[in-house]
Amino acid sequence: MELLMQQLFNGLTIGSVYALVALGLTLVYGILHIPNFAHGALYMVGGYITLIMMTEAGLHYILAMVVSICVVGLLSVLMERLVFYPLRHSPPIQDKVAAIGILLFLEALAQFIWGADYRQMSTPFGQVVEVFGLTLTLQRILIVFAAIAVMILLYWFLKKTFTGRTIIAMAQNREGAQLVGINTHKVAILTFFIAGALAAIGASLTSPINLVFPGMGHLVILKAFVIIIIGGMGSIPGAILGGYILGFTESLGATYLSADYKDIIAFVLLILILSIKPQGIFSKGGV
Amino acid sequence: MLKIDGVSAKYGKYLSIKDINIDVVEGEIVVLLGANGAGKSTTFKTISGLLKATSGKILFNDVPIHQTAPEKIVQMGIVQCAEDRKLFPYMNVEQNLMMGGYIHRKRKAQLKQSLNDVFELFPILYEKRNEAAGLLSGGQQQMLAIGRAYMAKPKLMLLDEPSIGLAPLIVEQMFESIKNINQEGTTILLAEQNAFAALSIAKKGYVFENGQIALQGTADELLSNQEVRKAYIGA
Repeated sequence: MELLMQQLFNGLTIGSVYALVALGLTLVYGILHIPNFAHGALYMVGGYITLIMMTEAGLHYILAMVVSICVVGLLSVLMERLVFYPLRHSPPIQDKVAAIGILLFLEALAQFIWGADYRQMSTPFGQVVEVFGLTLTLQRILIVFAAIAVMILLYWFLKKTFTGRTIIAMAQNREGAQLVGINTHKVAILTFFIAGALAAIGASLTSPINLVFPGMGHLVILKAFVIIIIGGMGSIPGAILGGYILGFTESLGATYLSADYKDIIAFVLLILILSIKPQGIFSKGGV
Repeated sequence: MLKIDGVSAKYGKYLSIKDINIDVVEGEIVVLLGANGAGKSTTFKTISGLLKATSGKILFNDVPIHQTAPEKIVQMGIVQCAEDRKLFPYMNVEQNLMMGGYIHRKRKAQLKQSLNDVFELFPILYEKRNEAAGLLSGGQQQMLAIGRAYMAKPKLMLLDEPSIGLAPLIVEQMFESIKNINQEGTTILLAEQNAFAALSIAKKGYVFENGQIALQGTADELLSNQEVRKAYIGA
């Protein structure tokens, strides 16, 4: 029973991070209409910026995270302006190739600047606490609460503010958005910023319990794809639910099946869902 | 109010308009007639800025707008209700209408008033206000599209084939509503294939053929024109 509770909490932790990354991916899908492969690189850069800000600039973890959010958000916007915007009238395959190009470029760049080593990130929240008989680190509790808070904030922004709703409107009908007077270029910039910020938050939260290295975005982005396919491309509740489904399945699978198969579970889940409900659990939709 | 002066534009490989001249005076209902692919929608896209004119000029209250971005054109007061409606399918009716008032988002009281006006104009939209736009019937979607355009409080409303695919009774209501909107002071440019219904509420009209204007005149002139009668009214 205690093991089960512990694993459920682990699932909640991993699921929260997956959901954050998948949310960014699904929002940008609404603009580009292709999965942005470079999103994994943003996640990786997010981890590095936080780490570097802590080790080189001596900033506090939280402050380093804020810097990372801004830097990665701007990097994401730069990506849109320099690469995807000029390609807006091109066939989707060119966007896909460009996205993979950005991914490879940023990874090589990270390796060039920061080296290929696996690096550890310290956290001021390393204490172990006991809650309801469970032994948890403060960092894991922070991950869950911070991620949920960010998701609630994002949901409120997309649902309740005019600016947020423009993102949904553009995803549902780009020309319709233009016809009501929405500046779609600005919406694209805003969306890319938010997606970058979410990736940076996800990476900064999870790095102290994982490691920081140039390839750290690979598995995460592949899993985020699985999540938005499970949840339905472009669906926001789908990305959140999909993130937690994957988080729970993985941590329970790792305990009760085999830890070696942890990463396979995501892809088995993908094949299962694609063969039973190919349009995803929430077929395409907004909030 | 709107002056289209020798405009040409290209949409895709085959659709294009050549040397279009249209003049809309404030307060009028002006009709563009023509078969599918004659160039009506391409003209509308060009006015709205979704498509750039390759030559010619478009003036709105003497200000050139043929190089202006679509959202700026909406802010200036030209709002299009497109043929394929371009609604936000997963938003509900009320959210769609509120997005229609996007350019007035700072004026909360005005938006509320406009929303009530739309519900008064189309009571069925009030009943369906919490349903997703994509789940409405064709006629209701068309009403929603017009209502959404109305929310922007345009000076000039472009309506692209509002009667397409609708039952005759609904078409009649639709034209009645368009007349009401016009009487409240909105100038209307209406593209239609239903020539009789459109000309009966309009002041003047233009007939499109193969991307060019083949004929123009007052509503009465066009209604009595033999070719128009043959082609569009079936008499």
